Amino acid sequence: MADRPSLADRLAAGETHPAPPEPLTIVIFGGAGDLAHRKLLPALYNLHVDALLPARIAIVGASRGEMSDAAYRAFAKDGVSQFSRRPIDEDAWSAFAEALFYVPVAIDNEQSYAALGSRLDVVEHERGIAGNRIYYLAVPPALFAPAVSNLARRRFVNRGSERPFARLIVEKPIGNDLDSARAINDAIAAVFDERQIFRIDHYLGKETVQNILVLRFANSIFEPLFNHRHVDHVQIVVAEEEGVGTRAGYYDRAGALRDMVQNHILQLLTLVAMEPPRSLDSDVIRDEKLDVLQSLRPIAGGDVDASVVRAQYAAGFDAGTPVPGYREEKGVARDSRTETFVAIKAFIDNWRWAGVPFFLRTGKRLPKRASEITVRLKEVPHILFNANSGSRLDPNVLSIRIQPDEGFALGISSKVPGPRVSIYPVRMDFHYGSTFGASSPEAYERLLLDVMVGDSTLFMRRDSVEAAWRWVMPILDRWASQTAEPIPTYAAGDWGPREAGRLIESTGRRWREP
Amino acid sequence: MARTVAARVSRSSTAETTEADLAAMWREAARDAPIARAMMSNLIVFRRLRAGGGADRPADLPLQDVVAQHPSRVIAVEHDPRKTDGEPCISVELAVVAFGPPQAQYGVEQITICPTCSDASLPSIVRRLIRGDLPTAVWWTEDASAVPPMPAIVAMARQLVFDSRAWRDVSAGVRAVTSIDQDDLDLADVNWRRLLPLRRALVTAASDRRDAWRSDEVRVRYGAGDAALAWLAAGWLMARLDWPRPPTVQEEKSMDAGVAVEVGAGDAAFGVALDERRAVLTRGGDPPTSFTARREDEADAVAAELHSLSHDVCLRDALAALNRAFGAA
Repeated sequence: MADRPSLADRLAAGETHPAPPEPLTIVIFGGAGDLAHRKLLPALYNLHVDALLPARIAIVGASRGEMSDAAYRAFAKDGVSQFSRRPIDEDAWSAFAEALFYVPVAIDNEQSYAALGSRLDVVEHERGIAGNRIYYLAVPPALFAPAVSNLARRRFVNRGSERPFARLIVEKPIGNDLDSARAINDAIAAVFDERQIFRIDHYLGKETVQNILVLRFANSIFEPLFNHRHVDHVQIVVAEEEGVGTRAGYYDRAGALRDMVQNHILQLLTLVAMEPPRSLDSDVIRDEKLDVLQSLRPIAGGDVDASVVRAQYAAGFDAGTPVPGYREEKGVARDSRTETFVAIKAFIDNWRWAGVPFFLRTGKRLPKRASEITVRLKEVPHILFNANSGSRLDPNVLSIRIQPDEGFALGISSKVPGPRVSIYPVRMDFHYGSTFGASSPEAYERLLLDVMVGDSTLFMRRDSVEAAWRWVMPILDRWASQTAEPIPTYAAGDWGPREAGRLIESTGRRWREP
Repeated sequence: MARTVAARVSRSSTAETTEADLAAMWREAARDAPIARAMMSNLIVFRRLRAGGGADRPADLPLQDVVAQHPSRVIAVEHDPRKTDGEPCISVELAVVAFGPPQAQYGVEQITICPTCSDASLPSIVRRLIRGDLPTAVWWTEDASAVPPMPAIVAMARQLVFDSRAWRDVSAGVRAVTSIDQDDLDLADVNWRRLLPLRRALVTAASDRRDAWRSDEVRVRYGAGDAALAWLAAGWLMARLDWPRPPTVQEEKSMDAGVAVEVGAGDAAFGVALDERRAVLTRGGDPPTSFTARREDEADAVAAELHSLSHDVCLRDALAALNRAFGAA
């Protein structure tokens, strides 16, 4: 006979609101840093306002400098005031602030962790938290390995134990190449099991990105069309308006391929191209995404020159204001060969996408900030309404806008009212902002909540990170071998170099401007 | 949270020319800058005028704040039932209300009809204003214990939104909403939303035991104005724990508002006190555990319910249990 359900299960039966996460402590290494200030603390505050945090929680900032709890609360309040999607509600703030603490920690110094451990014990005892912990590494990747090894030495992590749980959040970039990614993953894996590790790509927390799967698999109109029989090609563009700014130190070592393609763009590609998962289980979805990465046709050797364009921005204009070229930016070497733009023609060698090109494009100092996926369907036959070669019909285009103005649009052909059969392309447009009205939660809100409840669907698994590196490495290797070839340039404020236009135009297609 | 209205235009219309007038208003609204005609649902907002011409529910509904969050075609019905025969008199007022920044403006349309007509003829007036390709919700702003939702109006809807806090007679309110014979109707009580932290606290308090509490070891107390909330808590416990009788539910004059649930006696006793901000679980020597309430006003709560097109089984079960209890009493 089946066990009678527990009293808690009986009370929770039929509940439509998800249960709150278990009591826990979040330790933010780099807790006094920019990411915590701009993103993490405002996200946690908004989760508190929405009553989505656990009933008992402690949020402990851990950074190198000295700071009191009161000062940390003031630091957090400043971040929430500036960057939260909601203004501060003083009542809500005071309850939230009670959960904030600060401990000075030198991440690469084992001795620091003794003080951290003592403070966590006290805070958790006072707040009735049984030891569930999330460690957030909001620090440069070079500190990932020392941080996790110090956590292990000081016994902060119950490996393999279900309760109390220890989970680790790491921010991209995971490595600078395949070898360094493996080294970081190995160091983390020595302390945490894969199911305890949450690798954040904040793009995956955006509503529109989550909506890609809903759009494809909850609407019978689209999924039958997502294959080589109906799709002419796919474009994925992540355009940035700003230059390298204050990130020159990092960016000049990374470049657009590492900074954008290896993570954000390939993750978007997997969501557009993946097969229907058999369930919404996180590993089932991540298996399907991995399949796409493993099906990407390698681009190596001479193929790199034919299928990939890199470029650097030269001096130009940003909304009419003169701006310097990349090599004139502060912190960038005058002879830097780092690409600020990359365009790729890629193919997925599986049955569904055979022969369909995926054009990927990203760059800095492009005309505007925009991220968009465009699925262009094949033309209708050149008969009936498409018979006149002088006025070909526009093919249907499904565009998914990730930022700004999240939403999607479908371009269709429609008759212009009047006695003649005149056809005009019109758009069926969906905007999150105007349809759902309320402001959407920030990506970090969703992602932090998912870590609290242990749902890893929107996080990158090790095999996926390494598969993405494996695909981009031959491109990086080719470029590294080309030390003499000039790097194409584009004027700041343009959509990229002429070479990028030729890349797609040689296939009879054109870039679509977002 | 109040939303800023970017622009609002209105004009009088007639029942016959409503759609044509609205189309013209949208064309005018889009003349200077693009504006999205945003429409997630039909939202029928019902008020009944009293004999003197006024309504029980004041006219200051936070309607604009609701539709800023859940853009809808608003069909505001201000029904005067005094005229029971002959042709109805209908006055129609139209408005287009715009929200958002100039570069991404969206607008909603509001049709306010003031029909003086019988209950029987009202549905035919409302029905023609509904767009069939959208879900329809009815926001019953009246005290349902005094003015029960009209079945013919509710029958047009997929969702009935009400606020049990307005019920002056809880048993009549429960009877009114449970008597609606419509299985696929999503009942949405904005007052019930306030109970969530208390329910979470009770689930947490139950986490270390297997055997259920008995109804005679549970007491529910409430402050002024929260009788319905207290009874909903009692109904939920009855439904979930298969109690044939409700626990003790009493008004406590010393309480400002809110609901308190006490369970058991002696060392094992615990209590949960709910106010507008949180539910606090107090048990033995443990530190109190606080379950935060969502920070939302009436408009936020109504919009959140409108966003969610799903059956709240817990609410339905609680109401059904209360209906049985009140019927047996």
